[in-house]
Amino acid sequence: MTRMATKIWWAQIKAVIRLEMRKTFFAKRGLWIYVVAALPVLIFVAYIVASAQRQHQTSDVARQGTRPLTYQDLLAVKPGMTSEEVVALLGKPARDFRWTETQPPATEKDKAVEIRHDDYRYSDGQSDLFVELANGKVESINIQEGTNLGRDSIMFAGVFQFFFIRLAVFFGCLGIFMNLFRGEVLDRSLHFYFLAPIRREVLMVGKFLAGLLATCTIFVTSELLQTVAFVWHFPPSLRDVYLYHNHGLQHAAIYLGVTVLACVGYGAFFLVAGMMFKNPILPAAVILIWEAINPFLPNVLKQFSVIYYLKALCPVNIPSDSGTSPVLALLISNSDPVSAPVAVLGILIVALIALYASSIQVRRMEINYTSE
Amino acid sequence: MSDRIVFEDVSKFYGEILGVNRVNLSIPPGITSLVGPNGSGKTTLMNLMTGLVRPTRGRVEVLGYKTDDPENLFKILGYSTQFDAFPKGLTGFQFIYSYLRLAGRDDQSAEQLAWRVIERVNLVDAAKRNIAGYSKGMRQRIRLAQAIAHDPKVLVLDEPLNGLDPLARSEMIALFRATAAQGCYVIISSHILHEVDVISDQVILLSNGYVVAEGQIATVRGEIQEHPTQILIRCTRPRDLAAKMLEGELAIEVSIHKDEHGLLLKTRDADRFYLELNQLALNGIDIESIAPADDDVLSVYEYLIGNEEAVR
Repeated sequence: MTRMATKIWWAQIKAVIRLEMRKTFFAKRGLWIYVVAALPVLIFVAYIVASAQRQHQTSDVARQGTRPLTYQDLLAVKPGMTSEEVVALLGKPARDFRWTETQPPATEKDKAVEIRHDDYRYSDGQSDLFVELANGKVESINIQEGTNLGRDSIMFAGVFQFFFIRLAVFFGCLGIFMNLFRGEVLDRSLHFYFLAPIRREVLMVGKFLAGLLATCTIFVTSELLQTVAFVWHFPPSLRDVYLYHNHGLQHAAIYLGVTVLACVGYGAFFLVAGMMFKNPILPAAVILIWEAINPFLPNVLKQFSVIYYLKALCPVNIPSDSGTSPVLALLISNSDPVSAPVAVLGILIVALIALYASSIQVRRMEINYTSE
Repeated sequence: MSDRIVFEDVSKFYGEILGVNRVNLSIPPGITSLVGPNGSGKTTLMNLMTGLVRPTRGRVEVLGYKTDDPENLFKILGYSTQFDAFPKGLTGFQFIYSYLRLAGRDDQSAEQLAWRVIERVNLVDAAKRNIAGYSKGMRQRIRLAQAIAHDPKVLVLDEPLNGLDPLARSEMIALFRATAAQGCYVIISSHILHEVDVISDQVILLSNGYVVAEGQIATVRGEIQEHPTQILIRCTRPRDLAAKMLEGELAIEVSIHKDEHGLLLKTRDADRFYLELNQLALNGIDIESIAPADDDVLSVYEYLIGNEEAVR
């Protein structure tokens, strides 16, 4: 009997998924989710274009230099050196720009002071050195490094944690999961499901899985494209180093896994919220704030959020430098990390609690479109 | 297993608004019509019967099944609602097929059943078209097809004849009768009282959320004491007959038909009146026909609810 019932339930879940997939993927009201998912990919595509352009300029500067330079040569320039010393060290700059600044006199008796500025640009083919001279003396130096694995990995982690997960996946799940029941109430078509010989809980599971399949397809694809775009901008030799010797592949797999877990966690939250609230803005704001203030919450409460576990699973920590504000530093830091198995289990438990609440709520739901 | 649809002291409130109040019903097989003006509680009663809304108080059971157990309830029940919305993007065939797949049918049996029921409601030509392009009558028929697709024992139909042309109406009425003749329960709500009169085995009259009467129409009519029963008699000497009737004090009002071949009588005791009439017929008054003039749904509705909302 139980096996028979399970077989029927599974057939019903598949029927629900088939119906929901069509609506979830092609609904006009969900088109913005594709835009949100595409935004981080566009960020990395823009980064590739900018990097390529910069690399092109850097190569030009290196080629136009009087002699080939190394990165160590660029580091040898120090503030206070004279222009002659710089030229002696690195040769005539490939690009230079001269301009004069006139400072007004301090008193009426004084004369205006003229300061001669020279901006030199050197390159070793990968990194650029910008030297600012005032009256023939080095005032400041700025080295813009080309491809830097460490820096770029942190940038990727930043985009992933603060834009992709906290905003794109969050709002994407909101759009898809809240509409699973709420959208049907607004369309006045929920009774179609409620008139079928199907347990409400089975219907809820079918809808959740349909939403999960849709969000995972959209956001895992987005994450894959981001990874491809991110890796693409490395020179081939560095790409191999990153992927095979610097945990690049492992990190990519973890990011995909975290994306799926984010869809599970936020999906379960928004499914129950969509059944309990008529207006999605209120629960969305509450969940968004709850997730945002997570670092400031006591340990017991922290555990009832998704971001707490997702942060613990992210493979790259974002360091906060000395200039970072304390609030931002707290947001970035993971002061009380949990182990990966605990984090995965934590998200699944939080999702199961939300799904249990959904199952209670779906049994209570009534068809009363006139009150909408 | 119970063989009735049972409402036990059922009330439903939508916040402060009354849906139905203190409803006690035991509905037998056959065609039962829910009759009442807009807002009287017909749809609420149907939604309670099908578990789409839950009672605020009381208990509803359909042939022994609880209404909060859709998995079992909808194996024996089909509901054609008044909600005129469908899942987006589906053709008529997909709508029925998906419903049957949701019911757990396999691909082949769902397809077979879907085509069979689409044929039954005469929608074969339009089955592959998107429902969004259907006329009101076609949408009504596809909803009906969904309700009967799995051969339910209980068929609940909210205004099922709305939007149908006369031919389709008579086809649907024939379908309801055939279903009821198989021992099924057909619950219909309708504004169109003459159709209710023609098809119903019993009626439930609702007003302002209360059941004001239930049962067979003639029985309900008989219980309305404040309105005398009207009887139309066709005979050759209506004036003589009228005089005799008034003498016997059984008729309280008599009016002669314009053609002088009939009369309309009002009496408070119809049974005694018919006995007396038999006696008079034996005594030489030539009576062609006797017919009750107000034991139809329309009259009952007018007496109990008022005629403002009645649709003839």
